[in-house]
Amino acid sequence: MPNLGVAAIVLFCLTPFYWMVATTLRPPNQQFDNSLIPRSVSPENLIAVFDPSVGFHRALLNSFLVAGITTALTLVIGTTTAYALARLTFRGKKIVLAAIIATVMFPGISLIVPLLKLFTDIGWINTYQAMIVPYLSFALPLTVWLLTTFFKQMPFDLEQAAQADGCTPGQAFRKVILPIALPGMFTAAVLTFIMAWNEFIIALTIVNRPKMQTVTVAISQFTGAQQFELPFGTQMAAGVVVTIPLVLLVLICRRRIIAGLTAGGVK
Amino acid sequence: MTAQSASTAPLRDPEPRPLTRAELWKRRTPLLPGLLFVIALTQIPFLFTVYYSLQGRNLLRPDSGEFVGLANYGTVLADPLFRNAVTNTVVLTASTVVLSTVLGIALAMLLDQRFPGRGVVRTLLITPFLVMPAAAALLWKTSMYHPVFGLLNWALSPFGVNVDWVSQFPLLSIIMVLTWQWTPFMMLIVLAGLQSQSPEILEAAKVDGARAWTTFSRITLPHLRQFIELGILLGSIYIVQTFDAIFMITQGGPGQATTNLPYFIYQQAFRAFDVGEAAAAGVIVVVATIIIATFALRVVSNLFEENS
Repeated sequence: MPNLGVAAIVLFCLTPFYWMVATTLRPPNQQFDNSLIPRSVSPENLIAVFDPSVGFHRALLNSFLVAGITTALTLVIGTTTAYALARLTFRGKKIVLAAIIATVMFPGISLIVPLLKLFTDIGWINTYQAMIVPYLSFALPLTVWLLTTFFKQMPFDLEQAAQADGCTPGQAFRKVILPIALPGMFTAAVLTFIMAWNEFIIALTIVNRPKMQTVTVAISQFTGAQQFELPFGTQMAAGVVVTIPLVLLVLICRRRIIAGLTAGGVK
Repeated sequence: MTAQSASTAPLRDPEPRPLTRAELWKRRTPLLPGLLFVIALTQIPFLFTVYYSLQGRNLLRPDSGEFVGLANYGTVLADPLFRNAVTNTVVLTASTVVLSTVLGIALAMLLDQRFPGRGVVRTLLITPFLVMPAAAALLWKTSMYHPVFGLLNWALSPFGVNVDWVSQFPLLSIIMVLTWQWTPFMMLIVLAGLQSQSPEILEAAKVDGARAWTTFSRITLPHLRQFIELGILLGSIYIVQTFDAIFMITQGGPGQATTNLPYFIYQQAFRAFDVGEAAAAGVIVVVATIIIATFALRVVSNLFEENS
């Protein structure tokens, strides 16, 4: 009986994703066909997604740039900040840490009003930076939190030993501390990339020029290449295309991500 | 135990010589820019939100922008649509968190056992979490829930079920999508906890004749506590903010049946153009999330303590 329950849960988790792939691979004239295994397989839906009139490749490029730059900046800023918080003692440190972590709980939608006003005033509407800056503010708290716990676990003697051996504090950080913190940084980078790649509300409200849209917004407004029909097949193909990068990313580095997450977060 | 504490003792800081103020600042300065940048980036938008929430600002009245004190908060709290959104958010978040945690624990228990093809199954089970939420919403809306072509009705048709899921059970439809997306997340966290369990203790319980359920509830569950707590906390914080699924599947409807707080704020700001009230609602949501998250964590902790 428990096995039956678990089997049902597994089915619940896997069927929708399988169906997405199966619908993508069906030729358009069979798209409402409910046979469990597609009768015939064709790449037509995938080709339709990349039809130049849809502009989907531009959206993909936008998403890659925005998510990539966000990840890089988050790592640089987050690592130095986390190191500062882990190693420095100053009055009000707890409050600073609490304030930063509380930002994780700010729903993006509650910030969208001032952001939209601000970006309109400084002419940032329809730009990459108008997405990257808010994403930084969502990604940094988690990164800082993950990495602070990481740095705290490292004994202070590591740097002291390095400095006794003639390293400057900067060198001690780069050559001794950073290599040990790599798993944590790696996890933070993957999580940040996923967050930025999937973000929707800000990308939806700050950008209104189709050329600057990210894939999340492009997908939500996806009506497919052909008009006057339900473009199931093309929609699902678009879904598959945007999911593949993340699946690959996690497939390759699953072990490291979980190690970094639990080592930093739980202890 | 004694051996361990003996080995860590010398690692403790050997009482560092007190530094002078100048020395302290020399050490701190290179680290400060990052810190200040993070504080500015994370806190300033929220302060702006608070500022707007105190103003009578409506984009349809260009002359507006006067200071109105807490009037916006009064209006929002008295708004029946806001209260409806609060109820929907609580129902949505609580059901999704409970369901995905239970399902996640079950899957984690499955994956903790050895069987051929475990790696493949594990990877496949993570995929729902990786599907872009916007794409997932589209997938469920069209391929799963569609009244004529949807897989759900097709699979249930032998039992005489033929339902327009999104319009007849809107909240349930959203909960199903969110549970589907968040189960793998809970599973991953619980699995990490299961694998950090010491096999010796489990072996000892078996030797002592403990039944599977007793071992699970007395040993495994208390051990998993901090992992489940982390999952529930992170999960509820993110699920409260759900927007994509509602925007794409139900548009908050039918009527206001699935309007949660984020969607309510979106409507206030971009349909009614009432920036002041939208900002006030935003501040309320932030404060409430922080209070509830703190409270939820306490309750969960107490629950576990009573059990163990």
